[in-house]
Order: sequence, then C-alpha cells, then structure tokens
Amino acid sequence: MGEHEARDWIRGDETAKQMLSRVLGDRAFLLLPPLHRVPLRAGNVVEITGSSPTAKTQILIQAAITCILPKTWNGVHYGGLGKLALFLDLDCRFDVLRLSDMLKHRLLEANRIGNGAWWQLEESNVKTWRSAQDKSKIVYDEELYVSCMKRFLYLRCYDSLELLSSLKTLHYRIRLQEECGSQVGVLMIDSIGAFHWTDRLSSSLALDKNNRKSLSLTNVVETIVQEMKKLMQVHSVVVIASKATIYEEKYPTNENNRKLSSNNDRSGNASSKAQQPPFREFMPSSWQAFVTHKIFIRKSGDHQSSGQQSLSAYSLEWLQPQLSSIDRFVVDDSGVVIV
Amino acid sequence: MGFQQVLFSFNLVFSIRFFEDFLLHDLYELAAFAERQANADRLKEGITVMLSLVEVKCRPWLNGMELLEDLQRNKHTLSSGDKGTDSLLQGGLREGQLTELVGPSSSGKTQFCMQAAASVAEKQDGSVFYIDTGNSFSARRIAQFICGSSDAAALRKRVLSRISCHTVYDIYTVFDTLQGLEVALKSQVKMNVNECRLRLLVVDSVSSLITPILGGSGSQGRALMVALGYLLKKLAHEHNIAVLVTNHTVGTGENGKTKPALGETWKSIPHVRLMLSRDHRNNNCTISILKHTSMPSGQTVRTMTRKDNQQCV
Repeated sequence: MGEHEARDWIRGDETAKQMLSRVLGDRAFLLLPPLHRVPLRAGNVVEITGSSPTAKTQILIQAAITCILPKTWNGVHYGGLGKLALFLDLDCRFDVLRLSDMLKHRLLEANRIGNGAWWQLEESNVKTWRSAQDKSKIVYDEELYVSCMKRFLYLRCYDSLELLSSLKTLHYRIRLQEECGSQVGVLMIDSIGAFHWTDRLSSSLALDKNNRKSLSLTNVVETIVQEMKKLMQVHSVVVIASKATIYEEKYPTNENNRKLSSNNDRSGNASSKAQQPPFREFMPSSWQAFVTHKIFIRKSGDHQSSGQQSLSAYSLEWLQPQLSSIDRFVVDDSGVVIV
Repeated sequence: MGFQQVLFSFNLVFSIRFFEDFLLHDLYELAAFAERQANADRLKEGITVMLSLVEVKCRPWLNGMELLEDLQRNKHTLSSGDKGTDSLLQGGLREGQLTELVGPSSSGKTQFCMQAAASVAEKQDGSVFYIDTGNSFSARRIAQFICGSSDAAALRKRVLSRISCHTVYDIYTVFDTLQGLEVALKSQVKMNVNECRLRLLVVDSVSSLITPILGGSGSQGRALMVALGYLLKKLAHEHNIAVLVTNHTVGTGENGKTKPALGETWKSIPHVRLMLSRDHRNNNCTISILKHTSMPSGQTVRTMTRKDNQQCV
C-alpha cells in the first residue's frame, strides 16, 4: 500500500454529519394510532388481518394520510412524511370521500392546535368546541389539501393478471414520479387475499403440467412477492397490506375466554398457544415468510361515547412482534381513535 | 426473424406460450437468457414488445383529486324511493357501488328493489336492468309505486318501458347475461348515447344463485361467487351504475342471532350492506347499516311499508 493510499484509508469515507444525514433520511417513523406501538421503517411489510368489517381500510387510509401530509406547512406542524402513498385496491371498494373527509379533519385539527386555539379546548368541553366550527375563523389551507390529495395514487385491479401487470410496470412508474421530485413512502394493498379463491380454481384446472409455470395460486403469490422484493430493494417503502379472513372463526372470539384459558395453563403450554394464530391462515408460505409484522383485529363490543350513538369498538393485537398489550379503538369522523 | 420465432425460443426454454406465462417470469431472468442466445437482439426486442403489451393492459394510476372529480362528475346518488332509507344512506344508492340488502324471507326485500327500480325509472331518467331469480317481479306492483298526478297512463307506460326484466335461474346464465350487458354498454359508450342510460342494476336475489353451488369446501363455488361479485363491481364502477342485490339470512344455533348467508368471503364484496327486518305485528320495517364505506355501522331507520302509493318521495 502506497503512502497516498494509506493516508486515504486513515482519512475515512464520510464525516459523521454526512453519515447522520444519510441515515436520518431513512429513519424509522411511528405511525398514528393504532399502529403506534412498533416503529416501522422502510423495508417492513405489515399485514393487518381481520374479518369484515373490522376497520382495516380505515387504518390504511389513516396511514396514507400520515404519509401524504407534509411535516410543516406555512408554520403549522402537521407531522407527516410528505411522501407519495400508493394504494393498490384489490377489493375495489375504496371510497375517496372517506379519504377526503379524514384529510380535512386532520388539517382542521392541526390548524386549530397550531394557531393557539388550544386554550379554547381548556375552557369549554370538546363537544361544544367542535360544534362551534362555524364560529371559528380557522380554515384549512385549500392549496395544501389539493397537494396532499395529489400525493395519493390509486390503482384498482380486478384480477390477478392485472395485479401482476401493474407490479411489473410499477418500478418504471415510480421512477417517473420521482423525477418530478416526490418520493414514495408507503405502498398499500387492500386486501391481499382478494383473488384467493379464483386463483385456487385456476390451479386446480391447470391442464398442461409439463414444465410450464401455470397460473396457480402459489405461482401467482410467489411472483407477487418477487416483484415486491425487487421494488423494495430500489425504493425505500413500507408495505402495509390488509387481509380479510375467508374462513369463519370456529372458536369463540370472546376476549374473556382467551384470558381465562391463558391463565389456566400458564405452565408449559403458554408459549405454544401463543404461536397459534387466532385465525386460519390461507396465504401461501412465500407470502407468510415475506411479512415482517402481523396484526390481528377483531370486533370487541360497542363503545358508548359521550352523547353520540354507540360506535362499534375493535381490539387490535400485535402477533408479530408479539406484544402483550391489546389496543381498543373506535372509528369516528376523524379516523381511528384509541379508547 | 419474426416475432413467432422469438416466442418459439421462449417456449423452448421457459415454456412461455401465453401472455399470462410471461407475467409469471422474472424479467431479468428472461433478459439474461436472451443475452446468451445467438439472436440476442431480436429476443430482447421481443421482451420489449411484451412489456409494452403489459403497459397497454395496465390502467393508469389516478391521484386523489382525479378520483374526487370522477366521483362528483359521474357517480351520482340515486334515491331509493323511500325517504327513510335515503336519509340513512345520505342520499340513497350511489352509482359505482354494490349495495346488498339482507333480510329474512318476506321482510320486504323484493318490494324495496321494485320501489328503487320505479324511483330510478320515473324520477332519475335512467333505465333499470332487473334480474329476477325467483319469479317475484311484478309490473303491476311497480306501477303502484309510480307517483305522478297527470297523464298517469302515459307516465306508467314510459316508466315501465325503462325497466327490463330478465328471469334467470342459475349462475351461468347470469354470467352470460351480465357479460352481454357489458358488451352492450361498451358499444353504447362509443356511440355517446346519453339519453336514458342504465343507472340501476338489480339482482334479486343473488343468494339463490350462489347457494346451490357453494356446498362443501371445494373452491369452485366460492370462486364463482367472487367472480360474480367482481363482475358486478366492475360494471358498477366502469359504467357508473348502482348495483342492488338481495341476500337472505341463515340462523346460527348457538347465538340465536341471524346472520347473512353466503359466508365469510362474501362479506368483503359489497360496498354497503343493509339489514332489513320486519315486525309483522305492525308492519314496521327497520333498515340498519351492517357495513358502509364511509359511515359507521349500526345506524338504523324505521320505515312503513306501503300498500299503495300513499307515501311518495
């Protein structure tokens, strides 16, 4: 090694400042409740499972809003990422009105808090404050609203072939968007098991089996996982997928029952019981291995909020990483609220 | 070296014979394979052509503002003919959405469907495609739902001419009918005929079509059910139609509560699910929301059944 090279070797590749600025760009971010327990960073794949209806799409929309809001705008702090949110709608049930309403609510709330209107909260109670919306002159920024809505990209697929076609061309389209300056933050899929039965039928009907990769369930899911892995190598995205259960739960879903049973066999069997998922898994193993975080949501009775009619409450449980706490939440006009 | 020969080479090594096969293979693998062959350039051209075919097949990504515009311009809300239901659903049945009405037998589902058909045909200048699986469609009953004071006969004739009723008894005929409808709608779009377009599609009842094929744990029945659901949703979204289907209930032994038929998979298919229950003592119907895309579930409204056209919206 010459003297010149030795000096280079000692000098180092980058300063600490450069390293921090590089690493902080890809920092883990905490999403809004109810996904707030575990920090998610680029490269994570989150799967939210629940029967229908359990507010899975509402959680996705809330995560999308956190992604598309900017961090600050005109001096008001919104706490978002300011990145693109891609929404692949396999369920074909997405309602853009709901997204628009939730976004407006978030903008209004942030504006109120940002403009020092919190003292109004202290004086009167929350209900009369909300009904006095017309009296307050605080309005959300229309330009910000439009720029946020434009950061939400949506595509619907009616079958597996369309899904595969979209995934194959996704990388190129993201590149086009990135040339306009915006980065992709989160890719959402609603819901991943949508074509399960039709794909299973085509795998049982596959005739020509010699050496030909047929359009079977495992092949389709493998290709989906492959394409998404390639995407995640190049772009730093978090993948959030919702999954609707397609088999009914045969066992009672009472939370009390589960607590009783877990108390009874504390010795020995507790760990094996914890490993069993509370629903019947139907996705192929290639998808199960791809997922890094798992959440399960079930209905948990009704919740009586002050004055208004009772809303259905849901309980959310982290299966992977296994957390012992269970969050309960309701869905109201402004989105998901923990109770 | 033609495109056929390119495909032939692909076929030899990867057994790619159809477009679908191409989607299942890794593009980089194919490109690497192409590099190794003698006719590398032609093969790579072939891959590019296939990719462009894939691009053509893909829909464009829409952003939030474009979605809102499409909603406000094309997807209007149709009154269901009943004031209570309209106020519950914040307007009524929405074009582009699949609404399911669940209820035990003789709770008034068919009446609701016919009332909605009459309302759309009369007041909203739209035509109705009514698929009847149980021989319960009655033109006379629809005529009773028509309000309107002057020139009753001509009005009735015009309204009834806008409702086309198709009797089908099994799911395969329904697929045939709906695919024929899809073709007809696509050609209409090209001709830009705006007068009296199709606004409402009713399937009464979808459960009687699907329950016979759902038996056992095989996937054929459920696959057909999912395919039918997606065909209905596609028709609704692409052609701005409101789709209304009815479903019956099954009772569960342990809980004692009735639940909708067609199982767990069907729950994820409709946009809006409504439960209709009738109190036979005083003929009060109660409609409650089981699921809605933008409203919380659990809200209910009580309506009265009409013997004749006393209550007009």
